[in-house]
Amino acid sequence: MVTGGIGWVVAVNLIIWTGLFLYLLRLGTRVRDLEKKS
Amino acid sequence: MEPLKKLLAGLLWLWMSAVIAGAFLYAPLARGFIGQSSRILFFHVPMAWVSFVAFIAAGIWSLRFLYGGRQPRHDRAAAAAVELGLTFGVLATVTGALWARVMWGAYWNWDPRQTSIVVALLFYGAYLALRSSLEDRDQRARLSAAYAVLGLVVAPFLFFIMPRIMFSLHPQSVINAQGKVEMEPRMVQVLLAGSAGATALFFWIHNLQCRLAALLERNSAPLE
Repeated sequence: MVTGGIGWVVAVNLIIWTGLFLYLLRLGTRVRDLEKKS
Repeated sequence: MEPLKKLLAGLLWLWMSAVIAGAFLYAPLARGFIGQSSRILFFHVPMAWVSFVAFIAAGIWSLRFLYGGRQPRHDRAAAAAVELGLTFGVLATVTGALWARVMWGAYWNWDPRQTSIVVALLFYGAYLALRSSLEDRDQRARLSAAYAVLGLVVAPFLFFIMPRIMFSLHPQSVINAQGKVEMEPRMVQVLLAGSAGATALFFWIHNLQCRLAALLERNSAPLE
């Protein structure tokens, strides 16, 4: 994969999107835990 | 997480991953654009769209607050929608400015569409300023709801009417003035899929934000 090529850009975008997705999943879990506690 | 919610979240991940891959590997380049710059379209337009959806949703939640029993959850929903609308609006502005740099040679050109989105951001920035300036919870909710309802007229004007009544360097809208779609079908597919996915993402984040705001209001629970 060439740095800066289309495949590379797709890979970087997918990594960013997956990171955001996992963060939201984790945030959802923590919010639910806090809701149960309160 | 409940199984259905897990499934929906997984589907959204797949959907948006397909949109990302489609934007770079499936959709062709638009004619008349420099290099690969036209691919910004698949991120720029959905962000602007979600920003508009968020501002309209804020207006609707505000109406529900004013005429639906003054429930605090509607006030929280409206405020969260404005915050997200501003976030997506800033992202749309930044991606638009990057595209403008490639196509028109400058990040900022005072194009009617650039100007109108900045005015929209200022309008909704003022909503947050209004909220933070009022300490009384009821008064804050009532006044900011009235302001957001005004946005139901302001947002459509700034997003759709003003850019069309003035000369603009901006490429034609997806649906042109004659009501026709003049875009390669594969581009339309990726664009619509991206807009739908971004809208779903907005409602997901909005849900989390409302729940967090409710928790903070209830007991000021710190996250860490």
